[in-house]
Amino acid sequence: MKFKKRALVSMLMIAFMLVLTACSGGSSEKGSSKEGSKESSDKKITIFQSKVEISEQLEKLAKEYTKETGVEVEIWGTTGDDYLQQLQIKLNSKQGPSIFSLQHVKEAEKLNSYVYDMSNEEYVKNIAPNMELKYDDKIVGVPYGVEGFGLVYNKDLVKPEDLKDYQSFKSTLEKLKADGINPFGLSQEAYFLIGHISNYPFALQKDHFDFIDQLSEGKVTMADTKEFQEFGKFFEAIKANAANPLDVNYDKEIGDFASGKTAMIHQGNWAYGMLKDYDLGFEIGMLPFPLNGNDKLSVGVGNNWAINGTKDKEEVKNANDFLKWMLNSDLGKKYIVEEFGFVPAMTNIDPGELDPLSQAVFEASNSGNTIPWAQNYYPANVVTNDFTPVAQEFFISKDMTGQELIEKLDAAWQNAVK
Amino acid sequence: MRTTNKILKEVLLILVALFFLSPIYIIFVNSFKNRQELYENVLAWPENFGFQYYIGAMEKMNFLNALGNSLYITIISIILLVVLSSMTAWMLVRTNNKLSNVIFMIFIATMLIPFQTIMMPLMQLMGNIMDTLGIPMLNTREGLIFMNVGFNSSISVFLYHGFIKSVPVSLEEAATIDGASKFGVFWRIIFPILKPITVTVLIINIISIWNDYLLPSLTLTDKDLRTIPLSTFYFFGEFTIQWNMAMAGLLLTMIPIVIFFILAQKHIIKGIGDGAVK
Amino acid sequence: MTKRKNWGWYALFTAPLVIIFSVVVIIPFLIGIYYSFFDWDGIAANPMVFVGLENFAKLFDDERFLNSAWLTIKFTVLAVISVNIVGLGFALLVTSNLRTANTARTMVFMPYLIGGLMLGYIWQFVFSDVFTLIGEITGLDSIFLNWLLDPNYSLYALVVVFTWQMAGYIMIIYIAGIQAIPGELLEASKIDGANNWQKLRKIIFPLLMPSFTISLFLTLSSAFKIYDTNLSLTGGGPANSTEMFAMNIYNEIFGYSNYGLGQAKAIVFFLIVAVIALTQVYLTKKREVEM
Repeated sequence: MKFKKRALVSMLMIAFMLVLTACSGGSSEKGSSKEGSKESSDKKITIFQSKVEISEQLEKLAKEYTKETGVEVEIWGTTGDDYLQQLQIKLNSKQGPSIFSLQHVKEAEKLNSYVYDMSNEEYVKNIAPNMELKYDDKIVGVPYGVEGFGLVYNKDLVKPEDLKDYQSFKSTLEKLKADGINPFGLSQEAYFLIGHISNYPFALQKDHFDFIDQLSEGKVTMADTKEFQEFGKFFEAIKANAANPLDVNYDKEIGDFASGKTAMIHQGNWAYGMLKDYDLGFEIGMLPFPLNGNDKLSVGVGNNWAINGTKDKEEVKNANDFLKWMLNSDLGKKYIVEEFGFVPAMTNIDPGELDPLSQAVFEASNSGNTIPWAQNYYPANVVTNDFTPVAQEFFISKDMTGQELIEKLDAAWQNAVK
Repeated sequence: MRTTNKILKEVLLILVALFFLSPIYIIFVNSFKNRQELYENVLAWPENFGFQYYIGAMEKMNFLNALGNSLYITIISIILLVVLSSMTAWMLVRTNNKLSNVIFMIFIATMLIPFQTIMMPLMQLMGNIMDTLGIPMLNTREGLIFMNVGFNSSISVFLYHGFIKSVPVSLEEAATIDGASKFGVFWRIIFPILKPITVTVLIINIISIWNDYLLPSLTLTDKDLRTIPLSTFYFFGEFTIQWNMAMAGLLLTMIPIVIFFILAQKHIIKGIGDGAVK
Repeated sequence: MTKRKNWGWYALFTAPLVIIFSVVVIIPFLIGIYYSFFDWDGIAANPMVFVGLENFAKLFDDERFLNSAWLTIKFTVLAVISVNIVGLGFALLVTSNLRTANTARTMVFMPYLIGGLMLGYIWQFVFSDVFTLIGEITGLDSIFLNWLLDPNYSLYALVVVFTWQMAGYIMIIYIAGIQAIPGELLEASKIDGANNWQKLRKIIFPLLMPSFTISLFLTLSSAFKIYDTNLSLTGGGPANSTEMFAMNIYNEIFGYSNYGLGQAKAIVFFLIVAVIALTQVYLTKKREVEM
């Protein structure tokens, strides 16, 4: 008897569920706001962006904006690493957001059918020189902020004059190793192992866009280009003197540096967020990576705000209004600098107090004394899918030379563009 | 002699189990450490047991809200799964014809499809259903429940199917002669017999639905709808991972299931007991 | 008359689930098959070019894919064996009337509750610190090195972690099977003077056949589909020595934006594994003892 009751209950549950699913259609029109669905009476935009660190702060800012203007801003939960896949899937199922984020021009190219041309918008005029996201001569993204990477070093152990070119780099590494200090740190994550550091030989070409295009067409090779040959030598010096980066994850890399076991690491200003959790007993700074005597930091943009141009006119306008407000109002600027912790890439935003690494990046960016982030123009996913296995192989095998590394990177590149 | 042997066995079993559990120890101790402590020695006992990371994790995750969502989604999904898949499996076993075999084979075969290969078409289809029929499949808990039932039905049918095969038909025949309908026969006679396998199906599905990350991350965009695994995003930044919070969050996620498992164990272990079968 | 009525019952019992299942799994899978005949980057607004069977032809020149398929098969075989041995061993232990059985059962089961990223992180640490420590202490550093860095060992590292994760889950299935074995049979064998090994071979194993069928298939399907653990533990490295099949597809679809090619890979490999798996189910089902 008991079970008959239970069966009835479950049957009712199913019926109830179906009704629920059918009815909740009318009650809560969440998520999608496509053309034709009449919600425009209450203005609303949605933002889906990739940087987890600012999600809570962005929600607060959105609330402020709603208070001020009455436009509802819904922030979707960020997914971090698989952001682009998630965005792609959402756009494909017609559930795209009004504002999304793009990391670089390759992503803009991929989503070309969706990006909105901001060229005529007021707010793009304040973007710092060369920092806008351009595709097809259209401005399609506004930078979150500038970021830079180079040699983050311990001022007690390393002097800037020790790192001027290949010779001094190598001898400094050898000297530190002899003193029982790990001279140089990379870590196992794809971008910290090879992604960022491989940028230098590209960025030092006369025109890195042109060079990359030629490389993809097979007209030039890395193996025959002098900057790359030298890059191979640098990697040999690293392998010979430094701890095996495959043994080290990002946490350990930072910890070893913070405790003085490692003299310098190849990192960006974002690393400060981790370093501040330690009590450092020394001063830190950031130096250029001296490939071919390079004396400039590598500065670029890691993330850009973009607008979904396939939405209806009004939603696009609301999205534009929000960006404009965020980049120009006092409150918006305050959030960008203080709450998000960005180094602003807009000339109309004062950076305020910066940590030592961000300060170095900001000064370089303002003086224009920088080399670009060529890795933003690499074929999509070449770093994780093709470069990383090669770099791993290089650090695993004792007798692989720098020249062989470059040849294999050539092959990996060809595999990615085939 | 016998007792020493037995004690030896007991000790051995616990040692093996402890060995199995050692990685959990790592999670536990590191949910109390700051970054510096964690870096210095992952294995060490923490210097102090403050619950600040647990409280921080709960706040960041909006834990109670996420817990509510997870409970709602999991409970409704498994009730539907148990009801529908047991009925389906029973019918497939008892109606032994070509159609049943084909349906069963399709159910099994799809267990081999990696989810990554169907997630995009699935989301497009759901988007289309939303547009054309107006049924909100995406960004609703009910839509997710619907998909959970679809994805976990293969394994549930598979488990029930295997079990029902060993249930003698004689029981049902007697009831049918008494004039009970199929429905009555199933719910009054068969379903109680299936209890051990039902508990197994429950455990397996609860865990997979409770811990599922990818499907909810695709369907639930609204923050208020987030399940527990989704709310742990916050600890994994682009360049900084807050391990202590993440570990605390992970333990908080595990506790409800461990409790459930301990409660459900009794039922598995009691087994058939009542002698209705075999 | 009764026939029609029976069909009605049949539909009532099976249709709801079959419909849900079709909408959620079958139709998307068919759409996926449709995409495999196109050259497409996976962005709805971008063009799809019909290329017929070209994607399927490309597969067989893709060394990385073939290598990944071979690795997956190797991994699956190892994983199926090790998970089932460990799981069955535990199931036999915790169903014996030891006092500690209940506690042990919970402990062994717990790893299954840890998903994704964390699992990989914790085990990365175990391999990089604990293993090397053991190697230093025992001097067996030819065995106890960081497996994740050595292409010869990294696949075994993945097998170890997978076993650790899945053994408790499979144990549950075996426990249910063991519980279902009638006690009087075992009692009778005791009276006949059978020793433990005979009891296992002659009574428990034959009666466990249904559990074997289920467990083998479950391990096979989850080993074959492994992705999360693969991603968080090794990311496919070092030097692609652990790039499993699901990861290879994921990279093809979202990394290289070759949607059609990725789908073609999925279908080909799916067919191969389906044949293997269904054969396994068929063979073990045949050996099941009807009570």
